[in-house]
Amino acid sequence: MGEAIVITSGKGGVGKTTTTANLGTALALQGKKVCLMDTDIGLRNLDVVLGLENRIIYDLVDVIEGRCKIHQALVKDKRFEDRLYLLPAAQTVDKNAVNPEQMKELVLELKREYDYVLIDCPAGIEQGYKNAIAGADKAIVVTTPEISAVRDADRIIGLLEQEGTIDPPKLIINRIRQHLMNQGDALDINEITTHLSIDLLGIIADDESVITSSNKGEPVVMNPSNRAALGYRNIARRILGESVPLMSMDLPKVGVFSKIKSIFSK
Amino acid sequence: MTKKQLIFIKGTKEGLVLRLDDQCSYTELLDELAKKVSDEGFEGQAEVLLHLGYRYCNDEQTKEIISCVQQTEHLRVTKIQSEVMTVEDCNRRLLENQSETYVGIVRSGQVITALGDLVVVGDVNPNGRVVAGGNIFVLGRLKGIAHAGSSGNKDAVIAASWLEATHLIIDSVVETMTDELTVLSEQPEMECAYLHTNGSIAIDRLQDLRLLRPNLSTFKGGS
Repeated sequence: MGEAIVITSGKGGVGKTTTTANLGTALALQGKKVCLMDTDIGLRNLDVVLGLENRIIYDLVDVIEGRCKIHQALVKDKRFEDRLYLLPAAQTVDKNAVNPEQMKELVLELKREYDYVLIDCPAGIEQGYKNAIAGADKAIVVTTPEISAVRDADRIIGLLEQEGTIDPPKLIINRIRQHLMNQGDALDINEITTHLSIDLLGIIADDESVITSSNKGEPVVMNPSNRAALGYRNIARRILGESVPLMSMDLPKVGVFSKIKSIFSK
Repeated sequence: MTKKQLIFIKGTKEGLVLRLDDQCSYTELLDELAKKVSDEGFEGQAEVLLHLGYRYCNDEQTKEIISCVQQTEHLRVTKIQSEVMTVEDCNRRLLENQSETYVGIVRSGQVITALGDLVVVGDVNPNGRVVAGGNIFVLGRLKGIAHAGSSGNKDAVIAASWLEATHLIIDSVVETMTDELTVLSEQPEMECAYLHTNGSIAIDRLQDLRLLRPNLSTFKGGS
């Protein structure tokens, strides 16, 4: 039985879909069987980021409404033999087309076959969010070093904590620009972690190649020399239970390291 | 056989004390009261303390008794005393006087409400809201909204290890903690907010709370 991890943020545009694509790819690179699930019904993107857009035949709503079997809807990423699959969202209906019970059932079925089911959550705290978290065992909250993103992350963490069935969420700080942090123009990592007071799972540097590789449909994590890719690979290793020190952006940050140790080590 | 006296009138320095019998029927008492009040040759203006003894009167009955006494313009009821209260009132008062503790972080969008005092062990993040009928004590950073004395207690205070709230509300007085506010100190560590006698919210060091609200301390004994 695998585990289902929902990737959420509250705010839009902080990098949920990119994170889902890259973490999924990184876990597949580590030899795990991974299923990525796009729950942003009506505004699907994950297929584009993975470069699987024109191989979609059936989607999540087709599965839930019984028009096809799960394995018919799953899109295989041929770059990873049979370790990476995508369950795309529907584009023609909206988020009310499914309910949390149906999602729970679907995720449970996927967990039987895959080591990891990564659920890409839509922005907001409405129906789409409720669907996305319904089947999850764990949660990852993505934020950027901006006050607005941190506020929304705080709200989402509060909602996740009230959800009794999900483990305490972990934090990924995305799009870090070290020069802004050094100048004090952006929130620094310590500030964010003390404010949100949840465990830090990893940090990702802001890098242009994330955008260019997304446009090409190749997750950046496949390029091992890229620093954003390294961040994603480190997070994947931490999810697998390894203890990996936080990568230094420029200056090593003391104090955050200790928070990493116990992460996802079950 | 002489009828038992149902109403005793006593004069004190503060005014008249009307002690009402608590064993007779209510209508009997009201009749007697009306008679007594109109009979006696009251003069001037007297303040009256009503003592109901062990009789339970609901709000309506209390009002009736007051209006009965105040039929003459010479008497004005200033205070009502009673030895009894309902279980409901008693429970409510217990809740209002107890202190509730919340351990954890009050995050954005969350509302924590207490009837009496509220102790938060943890931070109150921006857009998080803590509401209490009594006082609010935060062992952590108060960065959200705090509403003390929500049921009309003007003496309520808000104290925090770090008082950096965006909004402070005491009773129904709202203070937005903007940059223009002169009472904001450079260092928000160990501070308390209270309703100043001038009607606005003031902020002071936590050490001054002992002098500002001497009744806050319920600790008795010790050495």
